[in-house]
Amino acid sequence: METVLSISNLTKHFGKIKAVNNLNLEVKAGQVFGMLGPNGSGKTTTLGMLMGVVNPTAGNFKWFGQEPTHEIRKKIGAVLEHPIFYPYLSGQKNLELNAMIKQCDPANIPQVLDLVELTERKDDKYKTYSLGMKQRLAIASALLNQPTVLILDEPTNGLDPMGIAEIRELIKKIAAQGKTIILASHLLDEVQKVCTHFAILKRGVLVHTGPVDEVGRGSETVEVTAEVENLNDILLKFAGTSTINREDGTFQVSLREGFKSKDLNKFLFENGVIASHLVTKKKSLEKQFIEILAGA
Amino acid sequence: MLHLLQIDLKKLTSYRTFWVICGLYFITLAFATASGMEFLKWLARTFEDFGQEINIDRIPLYHFPDVWLNLIWFSGWFKIVLAIMVVISVTNEYSYRTLRQNIIDGMSRSEFVLSKILTNVLLSLMSVVMIFVIGLVTGLIYSPSQAYGNIFQDVEFFIAYFLEIFFFLSYTLMMGVLIQRAGLCIIIVLLSQMIELIITVNINEDVPWLVNYFPMKSLWNLIECPYPRYAFQEIKDYLDPLNVAVVAAWTGVFNFITFRKLKKSDI
Repeated sequence: METVLSISNLTKHFGKIKAVNNLNLEVKAGQVFGMLGPNGSGKTTTLGMLMGVVNPTAGNFKWFGQEPTHEIRKKIGAVLEHPIFYPYLSGQKNLELNAMIKQCDPANIPQVLDLVELTERKDDKYKTYSLGMKQRLAIASALLNQPTVLILDEPTNGLDPMGIAEIRELIKKIAAQGKTIILASHLLDEVQKVCTHFAILKRGVLVHTGPVDEVGRGSETVEVTAEVENLNDILLKFAGTSTINREDGTFQVSLREGFKSKDLNKFLFENGVIASHLVTKKKSLEKQFIEILAGA
Repeated sequence: MLHLLQIDLKKLTSYRTFWVICGLYFITLAFATASGMEFLKWLARTFEDFGQEINIDRIPLYHFPDVWLNLIWFSGWFKIVLAIMVVISVTNEYSYRTLRQNIIDGMSRSEFVLSKILTNVLLSLMSVVMIFVIGLVTGLIYSPSQAYGNIFQDVEFFIAYFLEIFFFLSYTLMMGVLIQRAGLCIIIVLLSQMIELIITVNINEDVPWLVNYFPMKSLWNLIECPYPRYAFQEIKDYLDPLNVAVVAAWTGVFNFITFRKLKKSDI
């Protein structure tokens, strides 16, 4: 697969603070790449460097294998932090201005306005827009030049649940067109739902990178309830049991490598116990995230 | 180049404040420069002995070629209005954070500065054209001699006038980029003449030759006040190449600092 972005030893210091420290990362074409990390972990600073607004202290990065220039930035759609437009201009005029800056055809404007469902409000001044509309206009502006790469920084920040769902659908729609998306967020659930790959930053250092699919792999946890007194003892007898936790009246059984939930179910049945509740729990990104951060 | 100018004009032409300030500038400039004779008449009516001492009709305020230098020197006072427009235009880019978004969208930092400088050039050229037209019209009305030689004598002062406006707008743009806050920047631009005066007064005894190279002073040297000639005093009615060079050099320095500052900073 073609490499869209390669970052090597990228570093940014603000005085004594090491905002980003020796970052190495690769993003390939077609990936939806999630950048995770607590607040202040250097996500926005990294994206700022990639988009030319923050000067790196050391290191470099390449877009499409080339040295970064402003011409390359025109082919990348980016929304960093929050939407930024001229408040006294209408949505339409703001997009016309961006089309001039990106030197692309203004004929794309109606199409992107349609995509983000802002056509009705296009002639109203930007300052009259709600936060959700501002976010959507920002995405429209990022899509204006039909970019192959899209950078979104906290695109659902401050939105209501409806707005979050809308933006998420929009991202999936855009990803389905084969675009590469780099998504910075601290909403793990969001990343798990839309991303294919992810990286975790902590205090400017990369602590993990890999595909999202792998998160669920490894040992399984099974949640069991049954109407028997000595369920705990029975579960302990099962060969595949690694640990048992009791939570809110259910038993959380971590299985050893090679054992599946159906093995447990079969074991219980053979021992004359019929489970009233048995759920295989995939490890969530959230759990893994906290584990990785704790370990780093 | 034209493309960059178009981008900056697109930002400004839908901005009401821009029209208000530019409107005020060009309207007051036009009325103030065109009503010199009316002003003299008013003086004659108000102060009785004024008209007796001098016959106002014999003051060749609008006669070719006097009209050019008279109007150009007087118009210089109004440049502060344009400067305030420039401050607002550039500090808005910081307070709205649109400078950052412009760069993200694919403008280079130099292109951004260039787009602002080109607007300054345009505003300076518009001032030149405006004063040229007013001078021509008033001159044709009041001037007894309309020989070509007289009309186009001294028009080289328009080079100086263009430089004066462009120098000051470049200075303001630099201050805007360095200070980034509209209010503070306007105050400092308004006070810069005063601040320079305080410095020059204090060093005048030690290094008097240096004073002429200070930025605001170099502007005063470029176009000297022409009115003393009506009190039978010598005035400098030619352009001194050294003065032009000093003003042009300062203009270059201001714009260079603007470029440097934007290149180096995180935005």
